[in-house]
Amino acid sequence: MNFGKKPASTPVADGSGNCALKVALAGNPNVGKSVLFNALTGAYVTVSNYPGTSVEVARGSTVIGGVSCEIIDTPGMYSILPITEEERVAREILLHESPDVVIHVLDARNLERMLAMTLQLIEAGLPVILVVNIMDEAERMGLAIDIPLLAEKLGIPVIPTAAAKKRGLPELREAIVGYDRKRHAVFGYGRKLEADLMEIMALMSGSYTLSKKSIALLLLQRDEEVAGIVRAAEGDAYPAIEEKVRDKMFARRDSFHLDLSLERKMVVKGLMDGVFSAPDKRKPVFGERLSRWAVRPLTGIPLLLITLYFGLYKFVGSFGAGTVVDFLEGTLFEGYFNPWIISLTNRVVPWEIVRELFVGEYGIITLGLRYAVGIILPIVTTFFLFFSLLEDSGYFPRLALLVDRLFKKIGLTGRAVIPMVLGFGCDTMATMVTRTLETMRERIIATLLLALAIPCSAQLGVILGLLSKFPGALVVWGVCMLLIFLLVGLLASKVVPGESPMFYMELPPMRLPQLSNVLTKTYSRMQWYLMEILPLFILASVLLWLGKITNFFQTLVGWMEPVMSAIGLPRETTVAFIFGFFRRDYGAAGLYDLQTEGLLDARQLTVAAVTLTLFIPCIAQFLIMQKERGTKVAVAIGLFVSGLAFCTGYLLNRFIILTGIL
Amino acid sequence: MIRCGFCGHEFDEGQVKTGCASCPMSSGCRMVKCPRCNYENPPEPALVRKIRSILKKSGS
Repeated sequence: MNFGKKPASTPVADGSGNCALKVALAGNPNVGKSVLFNALTGAYVTVSNYPGTSVEVARGSTVIGGVSCEIIDTPGMYSILPITEEERVAREILLHESPDVVIHVLDARNLERMLAMTLQLIEAGLPVILVVNIMDEAERMGLAIDIPLLAEKLGIPVIPTAAAKKRGLPELREAIVGYDRKRHAVFGYGRKLEADLMEIMALMSGSYTLSKKSIALLLLQRDEEVAGIVRAAEGDAYPAIEEKVRDKMFARRDSFHLDLSLERKMVVKGLMDGVFSAPDKRKPVFGERLSRWAVRPLTGIPLLLITLYFGLYKFVGSFGAGTVVDFLEGTLFEGYFNPWIISLTNRVVPWEIVRELFVGEYGIITLGLRYAVGIILPIVTTFFLFFSLLEDSGYFPRLALLVDRLFKKIGLTGRAVIPMVLGFGCDTMATMVTRTLETMRERIIATLLLALAIPCSAQLGVILGLLSKFPGALVVWGVCMLLIFLLVGLLASKVVPGESPMFYMELPPMRLPQLSNVLTKTYSRMQWYLMEILPLFILASVLLWLGKITNFFQTLVGWMEPVMSAIGLPRETTVAFIFGFFRRDYGAAGLYDLQTEGLLDARQLTVAAVTLTLFIPCIAQFLIMQKERGTKVAVAIGLFVSGLAFCTGYLLNRFIILTGIL
Repeated sequence: MIRCGFCGHEFDEGQVKTGCASCPMSSGCRMVKCPRCNYENPPEPALVRKIRSILKKSGS
């Protein structure tokens, strides 16, 4: 990083294609920077990794009032003292690229919390324009901000905007081209801190892009990069500065960060005085109350159970896997379509072996298409509708916070909610996402739990649909899954070495789901799912047909028969387990067929559902486990999961027979 | 612009990779990964995009 001073550029339109003004957008994540960036730049955007890092930075160009401008969207940052790589890159851009204007974007609803960074940017001597964004939401909440007074107190232009609605953009453009970098206010800290800073600054004679006060503060906060710059700029004078900083740090060793934070809070409080007003005893809007309930265990867990009951059990299980599947599969396919296509094929195709391939017991049309369209499609549609509703409401990050404490006990953090939630959509995709977890320990535990106890949407839907006819069976299945998830997680966290990292995330606002968003997401997911499953279901039908005509299928059923009999299931159930090798949902659909044929009672259905849910992951998930965690780990997980599935099935069967609970 | 369904981060669909090279589903999966939290978001379907652009044109 280079903090060496550069000559200030003069903003003129040079007509050569080079931008006369460089404008950097800075601010916390999630304040609408990117929306503002897009509104300012339009289509002229390039995105590339910042040199030497994996952090992407977007740059665009535009012409404002005849002046060509380069706009840079810096990564989110919380403070000028960087912690993450993104913050480091953002600071580097602000300091190294010497922007002519730095637009600090903040969220009007969190003005007090975010103003501390505005102070730091002004204090650093950067040419700041403050954009108070998301004003529309703030106004809706009854918050009032005296923008002219805030601008007067800060000594910089302050523009109220609602970037998503393009409100305030003309004023912002005007402020960019008319920016006067000589104007800004000076803020003082307490007498003792100011005296300490003065002592350090008095020893500094080098030239810096940042103000000396800001440099002194960063030195006191042990910023190694800044220390290196000062060492290079001061030469022989550096040891004296270093010693002075060390003395001050020692004197304030217990609480410097806290003291500085409190000092800044005091300044912000002074700024907010008369600027910001909220309605007396402002009643939190329903979304805020719901958000609070969702993250507190006492209210969050009942809320989660209610959501699962109505969303999964009633909507996906009873309606999707019950009513809609009964109509599509039972009435349309079995009643009309299959008899018609079978009779047509019988008339047109003279060869039995070919007829068998298309309309036989495991035929592409009579089995593959019927499973995909008649059984799986209505289930994934209702599941993705429910999923998209929750997603659009902002519930998932709250779920992450709610389960964080519980997940820590099984070696994970709330961050693992992302792959777990995605696992209910598709476990293969979710296994890939485990790579984003911070430690290898977390990745292994999450991969194992996904392979073991997280059923994918279609499998879950079919199982809910089947078991909803026997509520007791559904409770047994649910308790089994939860217990195994927690027990295996707990054991894995003891066996796999490593530490649990911290989890922190900023919560986006909770809102009423928008119908257009929900429908678009559901449609998109369904399209993806059908594109993925149809070819696989057809392939599975062909393989099963091959297995049937070569008699390999019957041999396999024969091999597995003793295992099935040990867990109390009829011979025919083996077929569903063989289907499960190809895809989890294909196996569950096989179970559906057995149940409609009346081959399974409540006990057998429960044992089969538990064993099949725990049973080995599908081929695609196994391949991805091998890619992500290596062959050894993937094979170990596969063997462990299969062994545990049948052991659990055996014990559960014995337990149900002994207690007679079903 | 896509708004991440998990963390609420707003990003441009063109800025991020879709699918993952090592995933066996990558040819069929067009999920868009949020650059901030890696949550997989479904892209806006071409049909919806087309309808939106028609509505926009007729509105302007």
